[in-house]
Amino acid sequence: MRSVLIVDDDPFIRKLVSTTLEDVAGFQLHEAANGVEAVECASEVHPELVFLDIDMPRMDGIEACRLIRAQDNGAAKATIVMLTAAGAQENETRARSAGADLFLTKPFSPLDLLRLVDELG
Amino acid sequence: MEDMSGKGTTTDDVSILQERLATVERSAAEKERQLERYAADLRETFKRERERRHELRRSYMATVRALCNAVEARDAYTGKHAERVAAYGMEIARVLDAPFTDDPEVEFGFLLHDVGKVAVPDSILWKPEPLTPEERLLMERHPVVGWEILREIDFLGEAKLVVRHHHERWDGAGYPDGLAGDTIPLAARVFAVADVLDALTTIRPYRPPSPLMEARAMIAESSGSQFDPEVVAAFLEIPPERLDHIRVEVGDA
Repeated sequence: MRSVLIVDDDPFIRKLVSTTLEDVAGFQLHEAANGVEAVECASEVHPELVFLDIDMPRMDGIEACRLIRAQDNGAAKATIVMLTAAGAQENETRARSAGADLFLTKPFSPLDLLRLVDELG
Repeated sequence: MEDMSGKGTTTDDVSILQERLATVERSAAEKERQLERYAADLRETFKRERERRHELRRSYMATVRALCNAVEARDAYTGKHAERVAAYGMEIARVLDAPFTDDPEVEFGFLLHDVGKVAVPDSILWKPEPLTPEERLLMERHPVVGWEILREIDFLGEAKLVVRHHHERWDGAGYPDGLAGDTIPLAARVFAVADVLDALTTIRPYRPPSPLMEARAMIAESSGSQFDPEVVAAFLEIPPERLDHIRVEVGDA
Protein backbone atom coordinates (compact mmCIF):
# COMPACT_ATOMS: atom_id res chain seq x y z
CA MET A 1 0.00 0.00 0.00
CA ARG A 2 1.37 3.44 -0.93
CA SER A 3 1.55 5.84 1.99
CA VAL A 4 0.94 9.53 2.41
CA LEU A 5 2.11 11.31 5.57
CA ILE A 6 0.32 14.46 6.72
CA VAL A 7 2.23 16.54 9.27
CA ASP A 8 0.79 19.62 10.98
CA ASP A 9 0.43 20.60 14.64
CA ASP A 10 -3.05 21.91 13.87
CA PRO A 11 -5.49 18.96 13.91
CA PHE A 12 -7.85 21.05 11.80
CA ILE A 13 -5.37 21.14 8.92
CA ARG A 14 -4.56 17.44 9.29
CA LYS A 15 -8.25 16.61 9.18
CA LEU A 16 -8.80 18.85 6.17
CA VAL A 17 -5.95 17.31 4.18
CA SER A 18 -6.84 13.75 5.13
CA THR A 19 -10.54 14.27 4.36
CA THR A 20 -9.64 15.75 0.99
CA LEU A 21 -7.40 12.82 0.12
CA GLU A 22 -9.54 10.15 1.75
CA ASP A 23 -11.12 8.75 -1.40
CA VAL A 24 -8.04 8.95 -3.58
CA ALA A 25 -7.58 5.34 -4.53
CA GLY A 26 -4.54 3.42 -3.44
CA PHE A 27 -3.25 5.66 -0.66
CA GLN A 28 -2.92 4.88 3.01
CA LEU A 29 -3.03 8.11 5.02
CA HIS A 30 -0.89 8.69 8.13
CA GLU A 31 -0.77 11.73 10.40
CA ALA A 32 1.83 13.29 12.67
CA ALA A 33 1.56 16.39 14.90
CA ASN A 34 5.20 17.56 14.94
CA GLY A 35 8.63 16.98 13.38
CA VAL A 36 9.70 14.26 15.80
CA GLU A 37 6.57 12.21 15.16
CA ALA A 38 6.96 12.84 11.43
CA VAL A 39 10.50 11.47 11.25
CA GLU A 40 9.48 8.41 13.30
CA CYS A 41 6.41 7.73 11.21
CA ALA A 42 8.33 8.21 7.94
CA SER A 43 10.87 5.57 8.92
CA GLU A 44 8.04 3.14 9.61
CA VAL A 45 5.69 3.64 6.67
CA HIS A 46 8.11 4.89 3.95
CA PRO A 47 5.68 7.45 2.52
CA GLU A 48 5.67 8.32 -1.17
CA LEU A 49 4.33 11.76 -0.38
CA VAL A 50 4.72 13.95 2.71
CA PHE A 51 2.80 17.13 3.51
CA LEU A 52 4.90 19.04 6.00
CA ASP A 53 3.93 22.14 7.99
CA ILE A 54 6.84 24.40 8.94
CA ASP A 55 6.05 25.96 12.33
CA MET A 56 5.59 23.09 14.77
CA PRO A 57 6.58 22.42 18.41
CA ARG A 58 9.42 20.00 19.32
CA MET A 59 10.88 19.97 15.79
CA ASP A 60 9.95 22.22 12.88
CA GLY A 61 9.16 21.04 9.37
CA ILE A 62 12.47 22.10 7.89
CA GLU A 63 14.50 19.98 10.31
CA ALA A 64 12.05 17.08 9.83
CA CYS A 65 12.48 17.42 6.06
CA ARG A 66 16.26 17.21 6.39
CA LEU A 67 16.04 14.12 8.63
CA ILE A 68 13.55 12.34 6.36
CA ARG A 69 15.82 12.96 3.36
CA ALA A 70 18.74 11.51 5.36
CA GLN A 71 16.95 8.23 6.15
CA ASP A 72 18.35 5.10 4.52
CA ASN A 73 14.98 3.81 3.36
CA GLY A 74 12.18 4.53 0.85
CA ALA A 75 11.18 7.69 2.73
CA ALA A 76 14.33 9.46 1.47
CA LYS A 77 12.85 9.43 -2.05
CA ALA A 78 9.44 10.79 -0.97
CA THR A 79 7.93 13.81 -2.66
CA ILE A 80 7.96 16.39 0.14
CA VAL A 81 5.40 19.19 -0.03
CA MET A 82 5.87 22.02 2.47
CA LEU A 83 2.77 23.75 3.80
CA THR A 84 3.86 27.36 4.11
CA ALA A 85 2.29 30.57 5.30
CA ALA A 86 1.96 33.34 2.73
CA GLY A 87 4.91 35.74 2.68
CA ALA A 88 7.43 33.47 4.40
CA GLN A 89 10.06 33.55 1.63
CA GLU A 90 13.14 32.81 3.74
CA ASN A 91 11.41 29.65 5.04
CA GLU A 92 10.96 28.51 1.46
CA THR A 93 14.66 28.95 0.69
CA ARG A 94 15.64 27.05 3.82
CA ALA A 95 13.14 24.27 3.10
CA ARG A 96 14.45 23.90 -0.43
CA SER A 97 18.00 23.42 0.78
CA ALA A 98 16.65 20.90 3.32
CA GLY A 99 15.30 18.86 0.38
CA ALA A 100 11.67 20.03 -0.07
CA ASP A 101 10.22 19.48 -3.56
CA LEU A 102 7.06 21.53 -3.64
CA PHE A 103 5.23 24.23 -1.73
CA LEU A 104 1.56 24.69 -0.93
CA THR A 105 0.74 28.10 0.47
CA LYS A 106 -1.90 28.27 3.20
CA PRO A 107 -4.74 28.75 2.72
CA PHE A 108 -4.19 26.03 0.13
CA SER A 109 -6.57 25.03 -2.64
CA PRO A 110 -8.08 21.55 -2.22
CA LEU A 111 -8.07 21.22 -6.01
CA ASP A 112 -4.32 21.86 -6.07
CA LEU A 113 -3.96 19.25 -3.38
CA LEU A 114 -5.89 16.67 -5.38
CA ARG A 115 -4.09 17.55 -8.62
CA LEU A 116 -0.77 17.12 -6.88
CA VAL A 117 -1.67 13.62 -5.70
CA ASP A 118 -3.17 12.79 -9.08
CA GLU A 119 0.02 13.77 -10.91
CA LEU A 120 1.97 11.53 -8.61
CA GLY A 121 0.12 8.68 -10.34
CA MET B 1 3.00 43.42 49.87
CA GLU B 2 0.45 40.65 49.62
CA ASP B 3 -1.95 43.13 48.14
CA MET B 4 0.61 44.38 45.59
CA SER B 5 1.61 40.89 44.49
CA GLY B 6 -2.01 39.88 44.20
CA LYS B 7 -2.65 42.90 42.02
CA GLY B 8 0.51 42.23 39.95
CA THR B 9 -0.54 38.62 39.28
CA THR B 10 -3.89 39.82 38.08
CA THR B 11 -2.26 42.18 35.59
CA ASP B 12 0.00 39.36 34.36
CA ASP B 13 -2.96 37.05 34.04
CA VAL B 14 -4.76 39.60 31.93
CA SER B 15 -1.82 40.04 29.59
CA ILE B 16 -1.33 36.26 29.31
CA LEU B 17 -5.01 35.81 28.59
CA GLN B 18 -4.91 38.61 26.05
CA GLU B 19 -1.97 36.94 24.31
CA ARG B 20 -3.74 33.59 24.27
CA LEU B 21 -6.87 35.24 22.96
CA ALA B 22 -4.84 36.85 20.19
CA THR B 23 -3.32 33.46 19.28
CA VAL B 24 -6.74 31.81 19.27
CA GLU B 25 -8.13 34.61 17.13
CA ARG B 26 -5.24 34.32 14.66
CA SER B 27 -5.71 30.60 14.44
CA ALA B 28 -9.47 31.01 13.97
CA ALA B 29 -8.88 33.56 11.22
CA GLU B 30 -6.48 31.15 9.48
CA LYS B 31 -9.02 28.36 9.68
CA GLU B 32 -11.67 30.66 8.32
CA ARG B 33 -9.48 31.63 5.34
CA GLN B 34 -8.72 27.97 4.71
CA LEU B 35 -12.40 27.05 4.74
CA GLU B 36 -13.19 29.96 2.44
CA ARG B 37 -10.62 28.54 0.04
CA TYR B 38 -12.38 25.18 0.14
CA ALA B 39 -15.72 26.85 -0.49
CA ALA B 40 -14.27 28.79 -3.43
CA ASP B 41 -12.90 25.59 -4.98
CA LEU B 42 -16.22 23.88 -4.43
CA ARG B 43 -18.09 26.66 -6.21
CA GLU B 44 -15.62 26.56 -9.08
CA THR B 45 -15.85 22.78 -9.36
CA PHE B 46 -19.63 22.92 -9.31
CA LYS B 47 -19.67 25.55 -12.06
CA ARG B 48 -17.36 23.51 -14.26
CA GLU B 49 -19.35 20.37 -13.54
CA ARG B 50 -22.54 22.11 -14.62
CA GLU B 51 -20.95 23.36 -17.83
CA ARG B 52 -19.75 19.86 -18.60
CA ARG B 53 -23.19 18.45 -17.94
CA HIS B 54 -24.71 20.92 -20.41
CA GLU B 55 -22.04 20.07 -22.94
CA LEU B 56 -22.71 16.38 -22.46
CA ARG B 57 -26.46 16.94 -22.89
CA ARG B 58 -25.84 18.88 -26.11
CA SER B 59 -23.78 16.05 -27.52
CA TYR B 60 -26.38 13.46 -26.44
CA MET B 61 -28.98 15.55 -28.21
CA ALA B 62 -26.82 15.78 -31.34
CA THR B 63 -26.31 12.01 -31.31
CA VAL B 64 -30.02 11.39 -30.95
CA ARG B 65 -30.78 13.83 -33.78
CA ALA B 66 -28.21 12.17 -36.02
CA LEU B 67 -29.90 8.81 -35.41
CA CYS B 68 -33.33 10.36 -36.10
CA ASN B 69 -32.09 11.95 -39.30
CA ALA B 70 -30.76 8.60 -40.44
CA VAL B 71 -34.21 7.08 -39.90
CA GLU B 72 -36.12 9.93 -41.48
CA ALA B 73 -33.80 10.25 -44.46
CA ARG B 74 -35.44 7.07 -45.76
CA ASP B 75 -38.95 8.37 -45.47
CA ALA B 76 -39.51 11.66 -47.26
CA TYR B 77 -43.16 11.80 -46.26
CA THR B 78 -42.74 11.89 -42.52
CA GLY B 79 -40.07 14.61 -42.64
CA LYS B 80 -39.93 16.24 -39.26
CA HIS B 81 -42.52 13.82 -37.88
CA ALA B 82 -40.35 12.78 -34.93
CA GLU B 83 -39.69 16.36 -33.88
CA ARG B 84 -43.34 17.33 -34.10
CA VAL B 85 -44.41 14.23 -32.16
CA ALA B 86 -41.81 14.99 -29.52
CA ALA B 87 -43.10 18.57 -29.21
CA TYR B 88 -46.76 17.42 -29.01
CA GLY B 89 -45.82 14.70 -26.52
CA MET B 90 -43.95 17.07 -24.22
CA GLU B 91 -46.91 19.50 -24.39
CA ILE B 92 -49.33 16.75 -23.30
CA ALA B 93 -46.89 15.73 -20.56
CA ARG B 94 -46.91 19.30 -19.24
CA VAL B 95 -50.71 19.41 -19.05
CA LEU B 96 -50.75 15.96 -17.41
CA ASP B 97 -48.03 17.17 -15.04
CA ALA B 98 -46.33 13.84 -15.79
CA PRO B 99 -43.18 13.05 -13.78
CA PHE B 100 -41.10 13.12 -16.96
CA THR B 101 -42.16 16.63 -18.00
CA ASP B 102 -38.60 17.94 -17.76
CA ASP B 103 -36.90 14.64 -18.48
CA PRO B 104 -34.76 14.80 -21.61
CA GLU B 105 -34.65 10.99 -21.71
CA VAL B 106 -38.31 10.72 -22.60
CA GLU B 107 -38.00 13.38 -25.27
CA PHE B 108 -35.16 11.32 -26.75
CA GLY B 109 -37.52 8.34 -26.75
CA PHE B 110 -40.15 10.35 -28.62
CA LEU B 111 -37.58 11.41 -31.18
CA LEU B 112 -36.18 7.90 -31.64
CA HIS B 113 -39.43 5.94 -31.59
CA ASP B 114 -39.09 4.61 -35.15
CA VAL B 115 -35.36 3.88 -35.14
CA GLY B 116 -36.20 0.17 -35.55
CA LYS B 117 -37.55 0.91 -39.02
CA VAL B 118 -33.98 0.76 -40.31
CA ALA B 119 -34.56 -3.00 -40.28
CA VAL B 120 -37.76 -2.82 -42.37
CA PRO B 121 -37.09 -3.33 -46.11
CA ASP B 122 -37.96 -0.41 -48.43
CA SER B 123 -40.41 -2.63 -50.34
CA ILE B 124 -42.52 -2.94 -47.19
CA LEU B 125 -41.96 0.52 -45.76
CA TRP B 126 -43.11 2.19 -48.99
CA LYS B 127 -45.65 -0.33 -50.20
CA PRO B 128 -48.78 1.60 -51.23
CA GLU B 129 -51.03 -1.49 -51.09
CA PRO B 130 -52.08 -3.19 -47.86
CA LEU B 131 -49.37 -5.41 -46.37
CA THR B 132 -49.57 -9.21 -46.46
CA PRO B 133 -49.67 -10.91 -43.05
CA GLU B 134 -45.95 -11.78 -43.36
CA GLU B 135 -45.04 -8.23 -44.28
CA ARG B 136 -47.15 -6.89 -41.42
CA LEU B 137 -45.31 -9.16 -39.02
CA LEU B 138 -41.97 -7.80 -40.23
CA MET B 139 -43.24 -4.22 -39.97
CA GLU B 140 -44.51 -4.79 -36.45
CA ARG B 141 -41.10 -5.92 -35.27
CA HIS B 142 -39.75 -2.36 -35.50
CA PRO B 143 -40.43 -1.37 -31.84
CA VAL B 144 -38.48 -4.40 -30.59
CA VAL B 145 -35.70 -3.89 -33.14
CA GLY B 146 -35.46 -0.24 -32.04
CA TRP B 147 -35.33 -1.25 -28.40
CA GLU B 148 -32.57 -3.72 -29.18
CA ILE B 149 -30.58 -1.12 -31.11
CA LEU B 150 -30.69 1.27 -28.14
CA ARG B 151 -30.45 -1.30 -25.38
CA GLU B 152 -26.82 -0.66 -24.48
CA ILE B 153 -27.15 3.13 -24.32
CA ASP B 154 -27.49 3.89 -20.62
CA PHE B 155 -28.34 7.56 -20.93
CA LEU B 156 -31.54 6.75 -22.83
CA GLY B 157 -33.09 5.08 -19.75
CA GLU B 158 -36.90 5.44 -20.00
CA ALA B 159 -36.60 6.39 -23.65
CA LYS B 160 -36.02 2.76 -24.54
CA LEU B 161 -39.42 1.85 -23.08
CA VAL B 162 -41.08 4.50 -25.25
CA VAL B 163 -39.39 2.98 -28.29
CA ARG B 164 -40.51 -0.53 -27.38
CA HIS B 165 -44.08 0.31 -26.41
CA HIS B 166 -45.07 3.13 -28.72
CA HIS B 167 -47.52 0.88 -30.60
CA GLU B 168 -49.25 -0.60 -27.57
CA ARG B 169 -52.96 0.19 -27.15
CA TRP B 170 -54.86 0.98 -23.97
CA ASP B 171 -57.21 -1.98 -24.67
CA GLY B 172 -54.28 -4.40 -25.06
CA ALA B 173 -54.73 -4.89 -28.82
CA GLY B 174 -51.41 -3.24 -29.70
CA TYR B 175 -47.93 -4.64 -30.22
CA PRO B 176 -45.24 -5.92 -29.57
CA ASP B 177 -46.16 -7.07 -26.04
CA GLY B 178 -49.93 -6.57 -26.02
CA LEU B 179 -49.71 -4.54 -22.81
CA ALA B 180 -52.94 -2.93 -21.59
CA GLY B 181 -53.88 0.02 -19.36
CA ASP B 182 -51.45 1.16 -16.71
CA THR B 183 -48.92 -1.55 -17.53
CA ILE B 184 -48.00 0.50 -20.61
CA PRO B 185 -45.40 3.10 -19.53
CA LEU B 186 -47.06 6.52 -19.21
CA ALA B 187 -44.60 8.09 -21.64
CA ALA B 188 -45.60 5.53 -24.28
CA ARG B 189 -49.32 6.23 -23.66
CA VAL B 190 -48.65 9.93 -24.15
CA PHE B 191 -46.63 9.20 -27.25
CA ALA B 192 -49.46 7.19 -28.83
CA VAL B 193 -51.76 10.23 -28.82
CA ALA B 194 -49.06 12.60 -30.12
CA ASP B 195 -48.14 10.14 -32.89
CA VAL B 196 -51.68 9.74 -34.18
CA LEU B 197 -52.26 13.50 -34.00
CA ASP B 198 -49.27 14.09 -36.26
CA ALA B 199 -50.17 11.25 -38.61
CA LEU B 200 -53.69 12.68 -39.04
CA THR B 201 -52.67 16.31 -39.53
CA THR B 202 -49.86 15.86 -42.06
CA ILE B 203 -49.95 14.81 -45.70
CA ARG B 204 -49.49 11.09 -46.28
CA PRO B 205 -49.20 9.28 -49.62
CA TYR B 206 -52.59 7.67 -49.16
CA ARG B 207 -54.64 10.66 -47.96
CA PRO B 208 -54.73 14.41 -47.48
CA PRO B 209 -54.30 15.88 -44.00
CA SER B 210 -57.36 16.19 -41.76
CA PRO B 211 -58.14 19.53 -40.22
CA LEU B 212 -56.96 19.76 -36.63
CA MET B 213 -60.46 19.83 -35.15
CA GLU B 214 -61.33 16.62 -36.97
CA ALA B 215 -58.15 14.97 -35.70
CA ARG B 216 -59.02 15.98 -32.15
CA ALA B 217 -62.49 14.50 -32.52
CA MET B 218 -61.05 11.24 -33.89
CA ILE B 219 -58.63 10.97 -30.98
CA ALA B 220 -61.44 11.71 -28.51
CA GLU B 221 -63.44 8.86 -30.05
CA SER B 222 -60.61 6.39 -29.43
CA SER B 223 -60.29 7.37 -25.77
CA GLY B 224 -60.51 4.20 -23.67
CA SER B 225 -59.94 1.88 -26.63
CA GLN B 226 -56.72 2.91 -28.36
CA PHE B 227 -55.75 5.63 -25.87
CA ASP B 228 -55.51 6.21 -22.12
CA PRO B 229 -58.59 8.35 -21.25
CA GLU B 230 -56.57 10.53 -18.88
CA VAL B 231 -54.00 11.28 -21.57
CA VAL B 232 -56.77 12.10 -24.05
CA ALA B 233 -58.43 14.41 -21.50
CA ALA B 234 -55.11 16.23 -21.01
CA PHE B 235 -54.64 16.43 -24.76
CA LEU B 236 -58.10 17.95 -25.26
CA GLU B 237 -57.23 20.65 -22.71
CA ILE B 238 -54.49 21.98 -25.00
CA PRO B 239 -55.89 24.91 -27.03
CA PRO B 240 -55.94 24.01 -30.77
CA GLU B 241 -54.01 27.22 -31.54
CA ARG B 242 -51.17 25.92 -29.37
CA LEU B 243 -51.00 22.67 -31.41
CA ASP B 244 -51.07 24.66 -34.64
CA HIS B 245 -48.30 26.82 -33.33
CA ILE B 246 -46.12 23.76 -32.57
CA ARG B 247 -46.75 22.34 -36.05
CA VAL B 248 -45.71 25.58 -37.73
CA GLU B 249 -42.76 26.17 -35.41
CA VAL B 250 -41.20 22.73 -35.91
CA GLY B 251 -41.90 22.99 -39.61
CA ASP B 252 -43.28 20.59 -42.19
CA ALA B 253 -41.57 18.02 -44.34
